[in-house]
Amino acid sequence: MTDEGRYAAQVTIVKQECPDADEGDIAEEFRRYEEEFLIPPEDALRSVVRKFQAATGMELKQIAQPEKVEKKVDKFADLDADDRNVTIEVAVISYTPRVQMVRGEERQVAFGWIEDNPWQSGDQRERWDFKDWGEKAENLAPGSIVRLEGASVNEWNDKRSLNINRTTRVTVLKEGGASAVQISDEPSPIVEASQREGFVNLVARLISSKPDVIVKRDGSGELDVVRGRLGDSSGTISFLSWVPLEHEPGTVLKIDGASIRKFRDTPEVNIGDRTRIEVFHDSAFVSMEDLEQANKVSISELRNGMRDIEVTVQVESWESRSFVSEDGTERIVRSGDVIDPTGRCRLTAWCETEPSRGDFLHLTGARVQYWQGSPDLVIDDAAQITNLSDAPWEPIDPEVHWVEIDLTSMVNGGSRRGISTSGTVVAVRPDSGIIERCPECRRVLRDGACGEHGPQRGEEDLRLRFVIDNGISNASLLLSKDASEAFLETDQESIKEEISKTGSDGFVASLREKLIAKRLIVKGRSIVDDQGAMLLADEVGYDATSAHDAANEVIQRWGVIL
Amino acid sequence: MQQGPRVGRQSAIRIFANEYRDASLPEEGSGEYDPSFIITKIGAKVNRALVCGVIDRVERRESENGPNYSAHIRDPTGTHLFNVASFQPELHPDFEELMARYETGDRFLLALVGKARWFETEDGGIFTSLRAEEFTIIDKECYTNWLVQTADATLRRIDAHAASLESDLTPAALDAAGVPSDLVDGLILARGHYGEFDPEAYRVGVLQALSTATGKTSVIEAQPEPEAAPTLQETSPEATTQKAPAEPSDAVDAIVEAIRSRDTGQGVDYNDIVAALVNAGHSREAAEDAIDSARDQGEVMEPRFGFFQLVPE
Repeated sequence: MTDEGRYAAQVTIVKQECPDADEGDIAEEFRRYEEEFLIPPEDALRSVVRKFQAATGMELKQIAQPEKVEKKVDKFADLDADDRNVTIEVAVISYTPRVQMVRGEERQVAFGWIEDNPWQSGDQRERWDFKDWGEKAENLAPGSIVRLEGASVNEWNDKRSLNINRTTRVTVLKEGGASAVQISDEPSPIVEASQREGFVNLVARLISSKPDVIVKRDGSGELDVVRGRLGDSSGTISFLSWVPLEHEPGTVLKIDGASIRKFRDTPEVNIGDRTRIEVFHDSAFVSMEDLEQANKVSISELRNGMRDIEVTVQVESWESRSFVSEDGTERIVRSGDVIDPTGRCRLTAWCETEPSRGDFLHLTGARVQYWQGSPDLVIDDAAQITNLSDAPWEPIDPEVHWVEIDLTSMVNGGSRRGISTSGTVVAVRPDSGIIERCPECRRVLRDGACGEHGPQRGEEDLRLRFVIDNGISNASLLLSKDASEAFLETDQESIKEEISKTGSDGFVASLREKLIAKRLIVKGRSIVDDQGAMLLADEVGYDATSAHDAANEVIQRWGVIL
Repeated sequence: MQQGPRVGRQSAIRIFANEYRDASLPEEGSGEYDPSFIITKIGAKVNRALVCGVIDRVERRESENGPNYSAHIRDPTGTHLFNVASFQPELHPDFEELMARYETGDRFLLALVGKARWFETEDGGIFTSLRAEEFTIIDKECYTNWLVQTADATLRRIDAHAASLESDLTPAALDAAGVPSDLVDGLILARGHYGEFDPEAYRVGVLQALSTATGKTSVIEAQPEPEAAPTLQETSPEATTQKAPAEPSDAVDAIVEAIRSRDTGQGVDYNDIVAALVNAGHSREAAEDAIDSARDQGEVMEPRFGFFQLVPE
């Protein structure tokens, strides 16, 4: 496409104002504004008109604003190539700032990816490139969801992208991670780099590296990639390289222009064709032996999407089950509950292994995926398992194994099983009590109908929903039927009877009276995600700590003299 | 366009009445779904609070949209004003019950979870209060537990505020100075807004709370008449409560004067009158009482809820 074509919309407007100007000159002027002055054509319009008015000897007059009717869309697919005043909500996926020198002055522009349908899951979204001409880094942090007002569509070589201009309004609807990093050529320590997303430079030792294949979702083929792990003295991080990476494990590499993206909940270094990698010589760099230690994690540290980790567990239960997979072959999956001093999780093995209850297993190269909101350890090969003869810790009794954790650490950590925490009840949800569930899918019926399966004769169930809070953090608390009956020291039938007398409002009011401002101790599991933290309780009880003891603790903590 | 995002729920700040009442810095979020906060002098960022105390004054007002209610609860440091709005009908039956009990002369301890709100008077004064989300009658044990938790939270803020005095007011510097992350924003805003003050004022409630919990003094429970019972307000360094209580008749004159001087035909806002009386040396409670009695005795009229005019001669 020629410059005239690319700037056709703007050129037309300039022609209206300055009929004598040459279209080629006008387009050339827009190209200069865009490429040399880094001003996108929309913003350059007035300057260009003024220039040609002066050049063609016309008197300067107020230029008619181009027709700027706002176009509000939900999806990129609804946009046309010449839309100039677009309002759309998007998720910011990446934001890579660049400083460019323009006539001796530094200007910051940035490019990156955005996705439409930001409130939907990833597979229903379309991804576009964008260019930020307006220095809106503060409001375009990767991970955030923003509304753009006054953005414009750019089409170049049949590829469309979105321009965010100086005049574009960016409203943050949902905060992302840390805001886009200031660009610098200095390498970042891995622990800092993993806190953010976007462009990064690293100096790191290659801990492991192996070829892998990614099957494209649309079935159009396979991509050869390299996966592995990098480490420095601050920590380790896994990487995914889209280009061949032939360095031997153990080599220290200087990596410029990689980007950090999150795979599920775990940050990952992406290496692409724009990344420069060279061998770095530093005899003092943290050794391979020390880095291998760093892959060792405890159950409390597991996060969805982790790969290549080392962990030691005690087996609590084990079972195997066979099923017919999609391709018709029969497969066996073995799994069980495992514990360590920091908590509890599931272990799934896609290989033949039959540990007994109480065995200690050392796992290497394990990966983590979520199952029903909790991290689940997965191993694929029996060679990854070592059954330890020496116990790494005194055998833990699984029946009474609850790891105490304060509410704030729980809310700020990952999803965990087998924890005990406490907080004060600050809300009783009005839907606490008897509910009806869909017999097909166990969803709660609303007005006698399931969202999925339509009107149903529901199955009655009992549940209680509260919010607990420690003044700094809060979490939803959900008690299933068993936990509710034990906590209220009654049964579902009696509660049903009570509700038939006092109504469900009366029942909820009685819960409020009993619970608001009361401190509870909750044992169960936590699910922590973008929506906040939820506790699924196995056991709930009142905190029996006396005010007297609590006061003495406060007096000691702050050195109060009464 | 789509369903709204779920902003994380704000935690309920444990806070004594004097710290909340002294606060005059509202912060309204810039984004569409951002929560608003009241920032206190020692850096609490209050969007939601959990407060407890003895019930003290309860009132129902009728409006076009149905009844709304307001009440005071008193803790060792002063009173929290809270209300139940007409658009919260689900809370009305419980509040009516509470009011009936109050009107029989019963006094009791109440726990309240409320959202921060404020009024700005015409002369720029900020009045903080809470809109009820949840409330229930509690026993002394529960109250004492709250006192201890709130003492702990207050000491934590006093400590962080002290640390901030030695530090640059940037997130990184405050973090390095040991300020907990949930207090960093609030302290930066507070330090930029409030002038010099003595944070020791907030220890009064802390010491009272801890003494009560450790059995060194008895809990102030169920005071039948607030005027008759000794309250800690008298020992607090707050200037307004140190002034000699003004005579009620002075108050009526002050109300009439406040309305005469401010009314431009639309009536004068309730809060402006309260502010005028507080400035003239009346306590807030006395001012509210005086406005009520002036209205009841026909000295002034309230043609529209919350707006007062002089009765035409």
